[in-house]
Amino acid sequence: MTEPKKPSRLVDVLLILMMVLPLAAAVVLHVLFTPQEEGVAIHGAWVYYSADPDADLSQVISTGFIITESLINSWLVMISITGLALFLTHGLKEKATTVRQHVAEWIVENVEKLIRGNMGDFHVRPFAPFVCAVLALSVFSSLMSLLGVFTPTSDLSIIAGWALLVFIVITGYKACNGPRVYVRTFTSDGPVVAVLNVIGEFSTPVSMAFRHYGNVMSGAVIGVLVTSFLSGLSSSLLGAFGEAVPLLRIGIPAVLSVYFDLFSGAIQAYIFAMLTMLYVGGGFSEDDWIRRHSAKPKQTAGQTA
Amino acid sequence: MPEMQSLGVIHLNTWSALISMANLVILFFLLKKFLFKPVRKVLDQRQAHVDGVYAQADEALAKAEADKATWAERMSHAREEADAIVARASENAQRSTDVILSDARFRADGIVRQAEEEARLTQLRAEEGIRQEIAGVSAELAGKLLGREINEQDHRDLIDSFIEEMGESHASDQ
Repeated sequence: MTEPKKPSRLVDVLLILMMVLPLAAAVVLHVLFTPQEEGVAIHGAWVYYSADPDADLSQVISTGFIITESLINSWLVMISITGLALFLTHGLKEKATTVRQHVAEWIVENVEKLIRGNMGDFHVRPFAPFVCAVLALSVFSSLMSLLGVFTPTSDLSIIAGWALLVFIVITGYKACNGPRVYVRTFTSDGPVVAVLNVIGEFSTPVSMAFRHYGNVMSGAVIGVLVTSFLSGLSSSLLGAFGEAVPLLRIGIPAVLSVYFDLFSGAIQAYIFAMLTMLYVGGGFSEDDWIRRHSAKPKQTAGQTA
Repeated sequence: MPEMQSLGVIHLNTWSALISMANLVILFFLLKKFLFKPVRKVLDQRQAHVDGVYAQADEALAKAEADKATWAERMSHAREEADAIVARASENAQRSTDVILSDARFRADGIVRQAEEEARLTQLRAEEGIRQEIAGVSAELAGKLLGREINEQDHRDLIDSFIEEMGESHASDQ
């Protein structure tokens, strides 16, 4: 009876490979294809493919189609996350007996609890997967720095894409009560405030993007700076031996990495998800929506009477 | 291999941003389909199961309460019934006691009557015997009378003395 219900080992192994292989692939790609760096080198993502090879990518904004290390890494992370989700939900039973089912239920219930606390019951079903996707993508992308590859979250383009999506969601929710109500949310306090409101509206995604990107990027920059500083320090203190074997670089950067890679990565993911929930929850009032939808039949009833 | 380019530290590529946005949307659908839907399904199933169990428990409790009430009622009835049975039984016992007693009394009366009857018959028989003896004696006396003159006084004395004699002989016979 119980034998066929048991999740098959083979599928488990395949799903674990689906989780691990993309991360290994990211490391392999990084090692094989990116040039070796000499000394202090602070730069953005390596470009694997550019539709226009002659385009100057050193500017702040570019519009040509490029595939960067950060994009490839975020795809790999997505595959890994999907594998993790499939692994956790493989062989779910009504009576939870496996650790992974408990983990899966813990994730789902806590994300739903987070949304219920910040946005209200109304948003739980549609928003839980979205917030979970934001959290997972952000955390796992940030944690990729532990593998020594380029972190997708330290690329402004990646975070800007997420922030743009959040902006679209916010606007969509604000506008779902009708365009008149949407416009009134800006103009209700007079023309001067309306201008500020519009600026504030557009600054939301910008600030979200720069906050996340800036934190992760600055962590990486500080890591590189401290590492090179410690190299210089060990060579000046220990002479030729210190230059050949930078002793001081052992251990100390790891402490910084715990903060900048683990803590900061997780915190920024949490902040990004939190702001998403707060902005969307603030832009959409459940009571308003209910009032509008319950007011409509009353209006028609009044007209007919 | 052409030399690899790297982006600036602050660089915004529109294509990358759009692809990244699409990535997030895709991951949203993937997680919705592969994580939230199955887990939610299992959680809802469990909730339904638990609700069902609770409903069953409530039902069973209500049934038990009803049974308890019924039994309590029956118990009180039973006490009344028991009292009635005891009353009926003692009544029956009383009645049969009376029957037995009256029967006994009747039979005792019968025995006494029979005894009296027997006593009377015995007496009668005894009297009959005596009478016959008297007759016999009278015949003997008549024989004797033929032998001598006798007056009335003598006659009476004679009979008395004879009866006395008879009584003695009768007593000595026994």
